Amino acid sequence: MDVSNSCSSFSSSSVDSTKPSPSESSVNLSLSLTFPSTSPQREARQDWPPITSRLRDTLKGRRLIRRGNDTSLFVKVYMEGVPIGRKLDLCAFSGYESLLENLSHMFDTSIICGNRDRKHHVLTYEDKDGDWMMVGDIPWDMFLETVRRLKITRPERY
Amino acid sequence: MGLRLPSKVLEHILSFIDSNEDRNSVSLVCKSWFETERKTRKRVFVGNCYAVSPAAVAKRFPGMRSLTLKGKPHFADYNLVPDGWGGYAWPWIEAMAAKCPSLEEIRLKRMVVTDECLEKIAASFKDFKVLVLTSCEGFSTDGIAAIAATCRNLRVLELRECIVEDLGGDWLSYFPETSTSLVSLDFSCLDSEVKISDLERLVSRSPNLKSLKLNPAVTLDGLVSLLRRAPQLTELGTGSFAAQLKPEAFSKLSEAFSNCKQLQSLSGLWDVLPEYLPALYSVCPGLTSLNLSYATVRMPDLVELLRRCSKLQKLWVMDLIEDKGLEAVASYCKELRELRVFPSAPDLDEANIPLTEQGLVFVSKGCRKLESVLYFCVQFTNAALLTIARKRPNLKCFRLCVIEPFAPDYKTNEPLDKGFKAIAEGCKDLRRLSVSGLLSDKAFKYIGKHAKKVRMLSIAFAGDSDLMLHHLLSGCESLKKLEIRDCPFGDTALLEHAAKLETMRSLWMSSCFVSFGACKLLSQKMPRLNVEVIDEHPPETRPESSPVERIYIYRTVAGPRMDTPEFVWTIHKNPEIGVSHLAIK
Repeated sequence: MDVSNSCSSFSSSSVDSTKPSPSESSVNLSLSLTFPSTSPQREARQDWPPITSRLRDTLKGRRLIRRGNDTSLFVKVYMEGVPIGRKLDLCAFSGYESLLENLSHMFDTSIICGNRDRKHHVLTYEDKDGDWMMVGDIPWDMFLETVRRLKITRPERY
Repeated sequence: MGLRLPSKVLEHILSFIDSNEDRNSVSLVCKSWFETERKTRKRVFVGNCYAVSPAAVAKRFPGMRSLTLKGKPHFADYNLVPDGWGGYAWPWIEAMAAKCPSLEEIRLKRMVVTDECLEKIAASFKDFKVLVLTSCEGFSTDGIAAIAATCRNLRVLELRECIVEDLGGDWLSYFPETSTSLVSLDFSCLDSEVKISDLERLVSRSPNLKSLKLNPAVTLDGLVSLLRRAPQLTELGTGSFAAQLKPEAFSKLSEAFSNCKQLQSLSGLWDVLPEYLPALYSVCPGLTSLNLSYATVRMPDLVELLRRCSKLQKLWVMDLIEDKGLEAVASYCKELRELRVFPSAPDLDEANIPLTEQGLVFVSKGCRKLESVLYFCVQFTNAALLTIARKRPNLKCFRLCVIEPFAPDYKTNEPLDKGFKAIAEGCKDLRRLSVSGLLSDKAFKYIGKHAKKVRMLSIAFAGDSDLMLHHLLSGCESLKKLEIRDCPFGDTALLEHAAKLETMRSLWMSSCFVSFGACKLLSQKMPRLNVEVIDEHPPETRPESSPVERIYIYRTVAGPRMDTPEFVWTIHKNPEIGVSHLAIK
């Protein structure tokens, strides 16, 4: 059967060996396409498990509050390897520079945007499609619209 | 039999009949009964806004007082229906405005509602009383302001989980300056802060207010002030609890709650710190409904709260409650009818929560009145399902979401077929069922055979072959809504049971192996079904045998709809015309 528009097959830690072998009329089950964006590697899916976006966002710790002319956008920040995270109001920063400065101060280490470096921690973020991206590529305003949470990666990993 | 019942007498008899199912039966008896029934029907329910035209409904029920409409398929809640699919409220509002001026209540679910719609409602229905929008989108706070300002007799304004363009909190000041007739106000889904003074004044001049659900922007201080002004509330949705605990703040909060002697339902509780929970203790004994699904609080604190809630009938909570917490619920909350347990860590790679199938077993054993369950759990066992079915044959709604797709019974490594068989067989009144975990075609044979009253069935990542769908469509006598994702069945069963589809409201299939060719055949074979293919790429550019991404099939007397976006393909009944998308806005 021509499955020309399938994307990556589902890879999970489930016990695949015990699943009964598919019958003739079925092929390898593939992940459902979720357009407009179709990214094969996703750390978090937006359509499974079946919970509403509101709950999903709440669990990710993203909270948008508007008070008069001020806006607060709280997101969770984790340092890779450290189980306890922090919460940060991204609207308190004017842009990437002040964000990095603050984070470096908060976590007491040097954090950068951009490419891998043996010395520095690199800042990444999860966007609204569930993909992990490098911080710094898009305009700050756009970043605020799409960011769900932040992760500071360890230098060696990259 | 020559005796005819005078229409006045029939009208009087019908005034005692509320259920629409009964009224539908009445309307089929004969022409005069049809006429009398349609003129006297006050509450109209349309489960699929595309099943019938607004004009036809408006014409048939000119005396309608209440209209309830549903738009998008249920799976839209989980991001499976792309934006722009449809479900527009405007044609309905327009038609009702023209023909049904005595309309007082509008309830919409999963529809696109614009500010123009809201302004039209405000302008057209003189005695408008109730507006409930659930999971709707497309409007801004300007539209809400129009309703507030114009509908002088407004009793209910509820925005439940809507996506609203929030232009600020001004809308609240548009309610009438003298007293309002508000009974229920729910703006929990809005982001912006509203002026607390506006809220205070509104509450003070709304003597009938019984239900108030605030948004997270309302602070604890605000909450205290509001509770002081509205101690008569029976339903409360708090704002955010995110504030540092100060002793005076705590005692003020405690006192405010203790004065709310009629409080029965509590929700909100965003960011609640465990230290604040004792402030709620005074209302616990009277609570019948508690929604803790946004409260990321640990088990011991949850138990301290719940053991005081002896009258609790409805509990929504996170899996942070753990098995132990549910054991406590089973022993303290003997009146429990509905339990929903949500996942706190939906990404499987995150923390391990000690919530297993055992938690649900405890509640099934201890809570005799339990009839509705929604349970998210990483894995499950057949034994647990058998126990649940045996203990709770009175279950009406059973939705189990095993978060790990294809997860078998983790103790025996078998599929969960036996377990769901027990549920289908044992719970004879089951109306709604969601299955998950590793399931073979056999499971669906049992469900098809035994789940005679199930009206809505949801399936994900299950089955082996076409047999699965065959079993379901040849059984399940009462099936009205079937939604399936990521299952390996194809064309055969679908085409074989085409007639069944006309007895149902709708069928949703995504990421299955139904081919475009089958969709075409089905559409041409069944004139009263709309077969919609939702696919990014035009189906004609691929071989007919290639599977389509998503299909939504529903019965309709209105013909194919005219408002489809570019990614929705309706197949013409005339085979010569083929496929098109009639994107007329």
